[in-house]
Amino acid sequence: MSWSHPAVLVFVYGAITAVATGLGALPFLFVRSLSARTIAYANAVAAGLMLGASFGLAAEGSDYGGWQTFVGVLLGVAFILATRRFLDRHEVEVGDVRGADARRVLLIVAVMTVHSFAEGVAIGSSFAGGMTLAALITVAIAVHNIPEGVAISAVMRPRGASLLSCAGWSIFSSLPQPLMAVPAYLFVDAFRPALPYGIGFAAGAMVFMVLAELLPEAFGKGPRPIVGLLVSLSLIAMLLFQAFL
Amino acid sequence: MAPTLTLLLYSSLAAGATILGALPLVRRERIPTRWIGGANALAAGLMLGAAYALSKAGRHGQPAELAFGAVLGVLFIFWTHRVSDTENLDLNRLSESDPVYGYQVLLVNALHAASEGVAIGVAMAVSTPFGLFMAVSIGVHNIPEGTILCAVLRSRGMRLGEAAGLAVAANVGQVLLALVTHGLVVAAPAMLPAAGGFAIGSLIYLVLVELLPESYRQAGATTIAVVTTVAMGALVLLSEVAK
Repeated sequence: MSWSHPAVLVFVYGAITAVATGLGALPFLFVRSLSARTIAYANAVAAGLMLGASFGLAAEGSDYGGWQTFVGVLLGVAFILATRRFLDRHEVEVGDVRGADARRVLLIVAVMTVHSFAEGVAIGSSFAGGMTLAALITVAIAVHNIPEGVAISAVMRPRGASLLSCAGWSIFSSLPQPLMAVPAYLFVDAFRPALPYGIGFAAGAMVFMVLAELLPEAFGKGPRPIVGLLVSLSLIAMLLFQAFL
Repeated sequence: MAPTLTLLLYSSLAAGATILGALPLVRRERIPTRWIGGANALAAGLMLGAAYALSKAGRHGQPAELAFGAVLGVLFIFWTHRVSDTENLDLNRLSESDPVYGYQVLLVNALHAASEGVAIGVAMAVSTPFGLFMAVSIGVHNIPEGTILCAVLRSRGMRLGEAAGLAVAANVGQVLLALVTHGLVVAAPAMLPAAGGFAIGSLIYLVLVELLPESYRQAGATTIAVVTTVAMGALVLLSEVAK
Protein backbone atom coordinates (compact mmCIF):
# COMPACT_ATOMS: atom_id res chain seq x y z
CA MET A 1 0.00 0.00 0.00
CA SER A 2 1.45 3.34 -0.99
CA TRP A 3 0.54 6.91 -0.06
CA SER A 4 -1.42 7.25 -3.20
CA HIS A 5 -3.64 4.32 -2.37
CA PRO A 6 -7.25 5.57 -2.43
CA ALA A 7 -7.90 4.24 1.10
CA VAL A 8 -5.09 6.44 2.45
CA LEU A 9 -6.55 9.41 0.64
CA VAL A 10 -9.97 8.66 2.12
CA PHE A 11 -8.39 8.62 5.58
CA VAL A 12 -6.49 11.88 5.02
CA TYR A 13 -9.56 13.61 3.65
CA GLY A 14 -11.61 12.29 6.56
CA ALA A 15 -9.00 13.60 9.01
CA ILE A 16 -9.14 17.06 7.41
CA THR A 17 -12.91 17.15 7.83
CA ALA A 18 -12.50 16.15 11.50
CA VAL A 19 -10.04 18.96 12.21
CA ALA A 20 -12.42 21.44 10.58
CA THR A 21 -14.95 20.70 13.33
CA GLY A 22 -12.54 22.41 15.75
CA LEU A 23 -13.04 25.70 13.88
CA GLY A 24 -16.54 25.73 15.35
CA ALA A 25 -15.02 26.86 18.66
CA LEU A 26 -13.74 30.13 17.16
CA PRO A 27 -16.98 32.17 17.44
CA PHE A 28 -16.78 31.58 21.19
CA LEU A 29 -13.41 33.31 21.52
CA PHE A 30 -15.08 36.25 23.21
CA VAL A 31 -17.88 34.46 25.05
CA ARG A 32 -16.91 33.96 28.67
CA SER A 33 -19.88 34.92 30.77
CA LEU A 34 -21.79 32.24 32.60
CA SER A 35 -25.08 34.13 32.86
CA ALA A 36 -28.29 32.13 32.64
CA ARG A 37 -29.29 34.04 29.50
CA THR A 38 -26.01 33.20 27.74
CA ILE A 39 -26.64 29.51 28.41
CA ALA A 40 -30.25 29.81 27.20
CA TYR A 41 -29.25 31.52 23.95
CA ALA A 42 -26.28 29.23 23.27
CA ASN A 43 -28.52 26.19 23.90
CA ALA A 44 -31.07 27.64 21.49
CA VAL A 45 -28.47 28.06 18.71
CA ALA A 46 -27.11 24.54 19.31
CA ALA A 47 -30.68 23.15 19.28
CA GLY A 48 -31.49 24.87 15.97
CA LEU A 49 -28.29 23.66 14.30
CA MET A 50 -28.86 20.09 15.52
CA LEU A 51 -32.52 20.06 14.43
CA GLY A 52 -31.50 21.37 11.01
CA ALA A 53 -28.80 18.71 10.76
CA SER A 54 -31.30 16.00 11.71
CA PHE A 55 -33.71 17.20 8.97
CA GLY A 56 -30.86 16.66 6.49
CA LEU A 57 -29.99 13.26 7.97
CA ALA A 58 -33.62 12.09 7.89
CA ALA A 59 -33.91 13.12 4.24
CA GLU A 60 -30.72 11.23 3.38
CA GLY A 61 -31.57 8.14 5.46
CA SER A 62 -35.08 7.82 4.07
CA ASP A 63 -33.64 7.88 0.53
CA TYR A 64 -31.84 4.63 1.44
CA GLY A 65 -34.85 3.14 3.26
CA GLY A 66 -37.74 4.58 5.31
CA TRP A 67 -38.31 1.67 7.68
CA GLN A 68 -34.61 1.19 8.38
CA THR A 69 -34.30 4.90 9.17
CA PHE A 70 -37.29 4.72 11.52
CA VAL A 71 -35.81 1.72 13.36
CA GLY A 72 -32.56 3.70 13.61
CA VAL A 73 -34.46 6.66 15.14
CA LEU A 74 -35.96 4.39 17.83
CA LEU A 75 -32.49 2.96 18.57
CA GLY A 76 -31.08 6.50 18.81
CA VAL A 77 -33.72 7.47 21.38
CA ALA A 78 -33.03 4.29 23.37
CA PHE A 79 -29.30 5.02 23.24
CA ILE A 80 -29.71 8.50 24.76
CA LEU A 81 -32.09 7.20 27.43
CA ALA A 82 -29.52 4.56 28.41
CA THR A 83 -26.62 7.03 28.35
CA ARG A 84 -28.55 9.44 30.57
CA ARG A 85 -29.36 6.68 33.03
CA PHE A 86 -25.68 5.75 33.15
CA LEU A 87 -24.58 9.37 33.67
CA ASP A 88 -27.20 9.84 36.42
CA ARG A 89 -25.62 7.07 38.43
CA HIS A 90 -22.03 8.29 38.01
CA GLU A 91 -20.44 11.53 39.08
CA VAL A 92 -18.87 13.08 35.97
CA GLU A 93 -16.44 15.92 35.38
CA VAL A 94 -15.27 17.37 32.06
CA GLY A 95 -12.32 19.69 32.65
CA ASP A 96 -13.65 22.46 34.91
CA VAL A 97 -17.28 21.52 34.32
CA ARG A 98 -19.09 19.48 36.98
CA GLY A 99 -22.49 18.10 37.97
CA ALA A 100 -25.55 18.58 35.76
CA ASP A 101 -23.54 20.81 33.40
CA ALA A 102 -20.90 18.11 32.91
CA ARG A 103 -23.67 15.62 32.18
CA ARG A 104 -25.01 17.83 29.41
CA VAL A 105 -21.53 18.39 27.96
CA LEU A 106 -20.81 14.65 27.90
CA LEU A 107 -24.18 13.92 26.34
CA ILE A 108 -23.70 16.35 23.47
CA VAL A 109 -20.17 15.09 22.82
CA ALA A 110 -21.49 11.51 22.88
CA VAL A 111 -24.36 12.34 20.50
CA MET A 112 -22.14 14.17 18.04
CA THR A 113 -19.46 11.46 18.18
CA VAL A 114 -21.97 8.70 17.53
CA HIS A 115 -23.47 10.67 14.67
CA SER A 116 -19.97 10.95 13.14
CA PHE A 117 -19.86 7.16 12.79
CA ALA A 118 -22.83 7.35 10.44
CA GLU A 119 -21.28 10.30 8.61
CA GLY A 120 -17.98 8.45 8.25
CA VAL A 121 -19.78 5.54 6.61
CA ALA A 122 -21.59 8.01 4.34
CA ILE A 123 -18.26 9.59 3.33
CA GLY A 124 -16.62 6.22 2.65
CA SER A 125 -19.52 4.97 0.53
CA SER A 126 -19.70 8.18 -1.47
CA PHE A 127 -15.96 7.99 -2.21
CA ALA A 128 -16.57 4.48 -3.50
CA GLY A 129 -18.57 6.09 -6.29
CA GLY A 130 -15.33 7.44 -7.73
CA MET A 131 -12.38 9.52 -6.56
CA THR A 132 -12.85 12.38 -9.02
CA LEU A 133 -15.24 14.22 -6.75
CA ALA A 134 -13.26 13.34 -3.63
CA ALA A 135 -11.77 16.77 -2.99
CA LEU A 136 -15.13 18.45 -3.50
CA ILE A 137 -16.88 16.06 -1.10
CA THR A 138 -14.13 16.66 1.45
CA VAL A 139 -14.46 20.44 1.33
CA ALA A 140 -18.24 20.13 1.59
CA ILE A 141 -18.10 17.86 4.62
CA ALA A 142 -15.35 19.90 6.29
CA VAL A 143 -17.43 23.07 6.01
CA HIS A 144 -20.54 21.16 7.09
CA ASN A 145 -18.69 20.02 10.24
CA ILE A 146 -18.02 23.57 11.41
CA PRO A 147 -21.60 24.24 12.65
CA GLU A 148 -21.43 20.92 14.49
CA GLY A 149 -18.37 22.27 16.29
CA VAL A 150 -20.37 25.43 16.98
CA ALA A 151 -23.16 23.33 18.54
CA ILE A 152 -20.71 21.52 20.83
CA SER A 153 -18.87 24.71 21.78
CA ALA A 154 -22.18 26.51 22.42
CA VAL A 155 -22.97 23.93 25.08
CA MET A 156 -19.44 23.74 26.57
CA ARG A 157 -18.20 27.31 26.51
CA PRO A 158 -20.88 29.08 28.62
CA ARG A 159 -20.39 26.41 31.28
CA GLY A 160 -16.77 27.41 31.78
CA ALA A 161 -14.85 25.15 29.36
CA SER A 162 -11.70 26.65 27.81
CA LEU A 163 -11.59 27.47 24.10
CA LEU A 164 -8.96 24.78 23.62
CA SER A 165 -11.11 22.07 25.17
CA CYS A 166 -14.11 23.24 23.08
CA ALA A 167 -12.01 22.82 19.94
CA GLY A 168 -10.46 19.58 21.21
CA TRP A 169 -13.78 17.90 22.00
CA SER A 170 -15.25 19.16 18.72
CA ILE A 171 -12.42 17.47 16.79
CA PHE A 172 -12.75 14.37 18.97
CA SER A 173 -16.44 14.12 18.07
CA SER A 174 -15.52 13.93 14.37
CA LEU A 175 -12.69 11.39 14.69
CA PRO A 176 -15.01 8.49 13.81
CA GLN A 177 -15.36 10.06 10.35
CA PRO A 178 -11.88 9.14 9.04
CA LEU A 179 -11.91 5.92 11.07
CA MET A 180 -15.22 4.72 9.61
CA ALA A 181 -14.68 6.16 6.13
CA VAL A 182 -11.81 3.77 5.33
CA PRO A 183 -13.57 0.43 6.02
CA ALA A 184 -16.77 1.83 4.48
CA TYR A 185 -14.80 2.71 1.34
CA LEU A 186 -13.03 -0.65 1.16
CA PHE A 187 -16.09 -2.78 1.96
CA VAL A 188 -18.81 -0.57 0.57
CA ASP A 189 -21.16 -3.43 -0.24
CA ALA A 190 -21.07 -4.66 3.34
CA PHE A 191 -21.54 -1.21 4.88
CA ARG A 192 -24.16 0.31 2.64
CA PRO A 193 -27.14 -1.71 3.99
CA ALA A 194 -26.30 -0.47 7.51
CA LEU A 195 -26.29 3.16 6.40
CA PRO A 196 -30.00 4.04 6.85
CA TYR A 197 -29.99 2.51 10.35
CA GLY A 198 -26.92 4.55 11.28
CA ILE A 199 -28.28 7.76 9.81
CA GLY A 200 -31.67 7.27 11.50
CA PHE A 201 -29.87 6.53 14.78
CA ALA A 202 -27.91 9.79 14.51
CA ALA A 203 -31.03 11.82 13.66
CA GLY A 204 -33.09 10.27 16.48
CA ALA A 205 -30.32 10.80 19.03
CA MET A 206 -29.88 14.45 17.98
CA VAL A 207 -33.59 15.32 18.04
CA PHE A 208 -34.02 13.57 21.38
CA MET A 209 -31.00 15.37 22.87
CA VAL A 210 -32.42 18.72 21.68
CA LEU A 211 -35.89 18.03 23.11
CA ALA A 212 -34.86 16.40 26.37
CA GLU A 213 -31.86 18.53 27.37
CA LEU A 214 -31.22 21.69 25.36
CA LEU A 215 -34.72 23.16 24.96
CA PRO A 216 -36.05 22.63 28.50
CA GLU A 217 -33.00 24.43 29.89
CA ALA A 218 -33.22 27.20 27.27
CA PHE A 219 -36.92 27.83 27.98
CA GLY A 220 -36.22 27.68 31.73
CA LYS A 221 -33.50 30.33 31.57
CA GLY A 222 -34.45 32.68 28.73
CA PRO A 223 -37.51 34.54 27.43
CA ARG A 224 -39.71 32.30 25.29
CA PRO A 225 -39.96 34.42 22.08
CA ILE A 226 -36.19 35.03 21.91
CA VAL A 227 -35.35 31.37 22.44
CA GLY A 228 -37.95 30.46 19.79
CA LEU A 229 -36.47 32.95 17.33
CA LEU A 230 -32.89 31.75 17.87
CA VAL A 231 -33.81 28.07 17.46
CA SER A 232 -35.91 28.68 14.31
CA LEU A 233 -33.43 31.00 12.64
CA SER A 234 -30.42 28.75 13.28
CA LEU A 235 -32.45 25.78 12.01
CA ILE A 236 -33.23 27.70 8.80
CA ALA A 237 -29.56 28.73 8.49
CA MET A 238 -28.54 25.06 8.77
CA LEU A 239 -31.07 24.01 6.10
CA LEU A 240 -29.79 26.73 3.78
CA PHE A 241 -26.23 25.73 4.50
CA GLN A 242 -26.90 22.06 3.68
CA ALA A 243 -28.72 23.00 0.49
CA PHE A 244 -25.69 24.85 -0.84
CA LEU A 245 -23.21 22.04 -0.06
CA MET B 1 -61.94 15.56 -9.25
CA ALA B 2 -60.51 19.04 -9.81
CA PRO B 3 -57.49 19.71 -7.57
CA THR B 4 -59.27 22.59 -5.82
CA LEU B 5 -62.24 20.37 -4.91
CA THR B 6 -59.92 17.59 -3.76
CA LEU B 7 -58.10 20.11 -1.60
CA LEU B 8 -61.39 21.44 -0.20
CA LEU B 9 -62.38 17.89 0.74
CA TYR B 10 -59.00 16.97 2.27
CA SER B 11 -58.56 20.17 4.26
CA SER B 12 -62.18 20.10 5.48
CA LEU B 13 -61.71 16.53 6.71
CA ALA B 14 -58.46 17.59 8.43
CA ALA B 15 -60.19 20.51 10.17
CA GLY B 16 -63.20 18.32 10.98
CA ALA B 17 -60.93 15.73 12.64
CA THR B 18 -60.57 18.24 15.48
CA ILE B 19 -63.97 17.05 16.75
CA LEU B 20 -62.45 13.63 17.57
CA GLY B 21 -60.37 15.46 20.16
CA ALA B 22 -63.53 15.96 22.23
CA LEU B 23 -63.97 12.19 22.72
CA PRO B 24 -61.70 11.81 25.79
CA LEU B 25 -63.88 14.43 27.52
CA VAL B 26 -67.16 12.57 26.99
CA ARG B 27 -66.75 10.40 30.07
CA ARG B 28 -64.73 12.71 32.25
CA GLU B 29 -65.07 16.32 33.31
CA ARG B 30 -61.33 17.03 33.45
CA ILE B 31 -58.36 15.30 31.94
CA PRO B 32 -55.06 14.81 33.80
CA THR B 33 -52.31 17.39 33.22
CA ARG B 34 -49.94 14.66 32.03
CA TRP B 35 -52.35 13.80 29.20
CA ILE B 36 -52.37 17.43 28.11
CA GLY B 37 -48.57 17.39 28.07
CA GLY B 38 -48.58 14.20 26.00
CA ALA B 39 -51.15 15.66 23.59
CA ASN B 40 -48.99 18.77 23.14
CA ALA B 41 -45.91 16.61 22.50
CA LEU B 42 -47.75 14.45 19.95
CA ALA B 43 -48.97 17.56 18.11
CA ALA B 44 -45.44 19.04 18.24
CA GLY B 45 -43.82 15.91 16.77
CA LEU B 46 -46.33 15.76 13.90
CA MET B 47 -45.79 19.46 13.12
CA LEU B 48 -41.99 19.02 13.11
CA GLY B 49 -42.43 16.02 10.81
CA ALA B 50 -44.64 18.09 8.50
CA ALA B 51 -42.00 20.86 8.42
CA TYR B 52 -39.36 18.22 7.64
CA ALA B 53 -41.43 16.78 4.77
CA LEU B 54 -41.89 20.24 3.26
CA SER B 55 -38.15 20.94 3.54
CA LYS B 56 -37.34 17.62 1.86
CA ALA B 57 -39.80 18.35 -0.95
CA GLY B 58 -38.09 21.69 -1.53
CA ARG B 59 -34.48 20.66 -1.08
CA HIS B 60 -33.61 20.55 -4.77
CA GLY B 61 -35.46 23.75 -5.57
CA GLN B 62 -34.50 27.31 -4.71
CA PRO B 63 -32.92 27.11 -1.23
CA ALA B 64 -32.47 30.87 -0.88
CA GLU B 65 -36.14 31.58 -1.61
CA LEU B 66 -37.20 28.77 0.70
CA ALA B 67 -35.05 30.20 3.51
CA PHE B 68 -36.39 33.69 2.84
CA GLY B 69 -39.97 32.38 3.13
CA ALA B 70 -39.06 30.47 6.30
CA VAL B 71 -37.65 33.59 7.97
CA LEU B 72 -40.84 35.45 6.98
CA GLY B 73 -42.96 32.65 8.49
CA VAL B 74 -41.03 32.82 11.78
CA LEU B 75 -41.24 36.61 11.94
CA PHE B 76 -44.94 36.58 11.02
CA ILE B 77 -45.89 34.41 14.00
CA PHE B 78 -43.47 36.29 16.27
CA TRP B 79 -45.11 39.54 15.22
CA THR B 80 -48.74 38.32 15.57
CA HIS B 81 -47.98 37.07 19.08
CA ARG B 82 -46.40 40.40 19.93
CA VAL B 83 -49.22 42.64 18.67
CA SER B 84 -51.91 40.43 20.21
CA ASP B 85 -49.96 40.43 23.48
CA THR B 86 -49.93 36.62 23.61
CA GLU B 87 -46.16 36.11 23.58
CA ASN B 88 -46.04 34.29 26.91
CA LEU B 89 -49.61 33.00 26.96
CA ASP B 90 -50.10 29.59 28.57
CA LEU B 91 -52.65 28.02 26.21
CA ASN B 92 -53.52 25.18 28.59
CA ARG B 93 -54.83 27.00 31.68
CA LEU B 94 -57.71 25.05 33.19
CA SER B 95 -60.16 26.85 35.55
CA GLU B 96 -59.20 30.28 34.27
CA SER B 97 -62.42 32.26 33.89
CA ASP B 98 -61.09 35.66 32.73
CA PRO B 99 -63.04 36.56 29.55
CA VAL B 100 -59.92 38.02 27.91
CA TYR B 101 -58.17 34.68 28.28
CA GLY B 102 -60.97 32.96 26.36
CA TYR B 103 -60.60 35.32 23.40
CA GLN B 104 -56.81 35.08 23.44
CA VAL B 105 -56.83 31.27 23.40
CA LEU B 106 -59.25 31.17 20.47
CA LEU B 107 -57.30 33.84 18.56
CA VAL B 108 -53.97 32.04 19.01
CA ASN B 109 -55.52 28.71 18.02
CA ALA B 110 -57.06 30.26 14.90
CA LEU B 111 -53.71 31.79 13.85
CA HIS B 112 -51.98 28.50 14.53
CA ALA B 113 -54.50 26.68 12.30
CA ALA B 114 -54.09 29.26 9.53
CA SER B 115 -50.33 28.52 9.20
CA GLU B 116 -51.11 24.83 8.94
CA GLY B 117 -53.54 25.64 6.13
CA VAL B 118 -50.64 27.18 4.20
CA ALA B 119 -48.73 23.89 4.68
CA ILE B 120 -51.62 21.84 3.23
CA GLY B 121 -52.07 24.25 0.29
CA VAL B 122 -48.36 24.19 -0.59
CA ALA B 123 -48.18 20.39 -0.33
CA MET B 124 -51.18 20.04 -2.65
CA ALA B 125 -49.44 22.29 -5.18
CA VAL B 126 -46.38 19.99 -5.08
CA SER B 127 -48.46 16.87 -5.83
CA THR B 128 -51.83 15.39 -4.93
CA PRO B 129 -50.35 12.47 -2.90
CA PHE B 130 -48.16 14.92 -0.97
CA GLY B 131 -51.25 17.09 -0.33
CA LEU B 132 -53.08 14.05 1.03
CA PHE B 133 -50.10 13.18 3.22
CA MET B 134 -50.03 16.72 4.63
CA ALA B 135 -53.80 16.81 5.19
CA VAL B 136 -53.62 13.49 7.07
CA SER B 137 -50.66 14.72 9.15
CA ILE B 138 -52.31 18.01 10.07
CA GLY B 139 -55.68 16.29 10.58
CA VAL B 140 -54.22 13.72 13.01
CA HIS B 141 -52.35 16.50 14.79
CA ASN B 142 -55.64 18.45 15.12
CA ILE B 143 -57.04 15.68 17.34
CA PRO B 144 -54.74 16.15 20.39
CA GLU B 145 -54.95 19.92 19.89
CA GLY B 146 -58.75 19.62 19.87
CA THR B 147 -58.61 17.68 23.13
CA ILE B 148 -56.61 20.45 24.80
CA LEU B 149 -58.81 23.26 23.51
CA CYS B 150 -61.96 21.39 24.54
CA ALA B 151 -60.49 20.78 28.00
CA VAL B 152 -59.73 24.49 28.39
CA LEU B 153 -63.18 25.58 27.15
CA ARG B 154 -64.91 22.93 29.24
CA SER B 155 -63.12 24.12 32.39
CA ARG B 156 -64.58 27.56 31.67
CA GLY B 157 -68.07 26.05 32.05
CA MET B 158 -68.87 25.48 28.37
CA ARG B 159 -70.92 22.44 27.38
CA LEU B 160 -68.96 19.72 25.54
CA GLY B 161 -70.97 20.11 22.31
CA GLU B 162 -70.29 23.84 22.19
CA ALA B 163 -66.61 23.36 23.07
CA ALA B 164 -66.19 20.79 20.29
CA GLY B 165 -67.98 23.08 17.83
CA LEU B 166 -65.79 26.02 18.74
CA ALA B 167 -62.64 23.88 18.44
CA VAL B 168 -63.64 22.91 14.89
CA ALA B 169 -64.57 26.54 14.11
CA ALA B 170 -61.10 27.69 15.24
CA ASN B 171 -59.66 25.40 12.54
CA VAL B 172 -61.92 26.56 9.69
CA GLY B 173 -59.21 29.07 8.76
CA GLN B 174 -57.09 26.04 7.86
CA VAL B 175 -59.43 25.23 4.94
CA LEU B 176 -59.53 28.84 3.78
CA LEU B 177 -55.75 29.33 3.91
CA ALA B 178 -55.18 25.96 2.20
CA LEU B 179 -57.40 27.02 -0.72
CA VAL B 180 -55.98 30.55 -0.97
CA THR B 181 -52.36 29.35 -0.80
CA HIS B 182 -52.98 26.62 -3.34
CA GLY B 183 -54.71 29.08 -5.69
CA LEU B 184 -51.91 31.62 -5.45
CA VAL B 185 -49.12 29.08 -5.90
CA VAL B 186 -50.81 27.42 -8.87
CA ALA B 187 -51.35 30.83 -10.48
CA ALA B 188 -47.78 31.94 -9.77
CA PRO B 189 -45.58 28.81 -9.47
CA ALA B 190 -42.53 31.00 -8.82
CA MET B 191 -43.96 31.58 -5.33
CA LEU B 192 -43.88 27.88 -4.41
CA PRO B 193 -40.45 27.77 -2.68
CA ALA B 194 -41.14 30.89 -0.61
CA ALA B 195 -44.64 29.68 0.32
CA GLY B 196 -43.23 26.29 1.37
CA GLY B 197 -40.58 28.09 3.39
CA PHE B 198 -43.25 30.22 5.05
CA ALA B 199 -45.09 27.06 6.17
CA ILE B 200 -41.83 25.47 7.43
CA GLY B 201 -40.80 28.55 9.43
CA SER B 202 -44.19 29.14 11.00
CA LEU B 203 -44.72 25.46 11.91
CA ILE B 204 -41.34 25.28 13.64
CA TYR B 205 -41.75 28.54 15.51
CA LEU B 206 -45.27 27.53 16.66
CA VAL B 207 -43.96 24.23 18.02
CA LEU B 208 -41.23 26.03 19.92
CA VAL B 209 -43.22 28.80 21.57
CA GLU B 210 -46.76 27.41 21.84
CA LEU B 211 -46.40 23.68 22.40
CA LEU B 212 -43.08 22.69 23.98
CA PRO B 213 -42.60 25.12 26.93
CA GLU B 214 -45.98 24.24 28.51
CA SER B 215 -45.69 20.54 27.82
CA TYR B 216 -42.34 20.32 29.64
CA ARG B 217 -44.05 21.50 32.81
CA GLN B 218 -47.03 19.21 32.31
CA ALA B 219 -45.31 15.89 31.72
CA GLY B 220 -41.53 16.31 32.19
CA ALA B 221 -38.85 16.74 29.55
CA THR B 222 -38.02 13.04 29.02
CA THR B 223 -41.62 11.95 28.33
CA ILE B 224 -42.12 14.90 26.01
CA ALA B 225 -38.87 14.18 24.14
CA VAL B 226 -39.78 10.49 23.62
CA VAL B 227 -43.31 11.25 22.36
CA THR B 228 -42.21 14.14 20.11
CA THR B 229 -39.22 12.31 18.57
CA VAL B 230 -41.17 9.12 17.88
CA ALA B 231 -44.13 11.07 16.41
CA MET B 232 -41.74 12.99 14.17
CA GLY B 233 -39.97 9.77 13.14
CA ALA B 234 -43.29 8.14 12.30
CA LEU B 235 -44.18 11.05 10.04
CA VAL B 236 -40.78 10.85 8.30
CA LEU B 237 -41.60 7.20 7.60
CA LEU B 238 -45.15 8.02 6.44
CA SER B 239 -43.81 10.66 4.05
CA GLU B 240 -41.76 7.92 2.32
CA VAL B 241 -44.60 5.40 2.26
CA ALA B 242 -46.94 8.07 0.81
CA LYS B 243 -44.81 8.33 -2.32
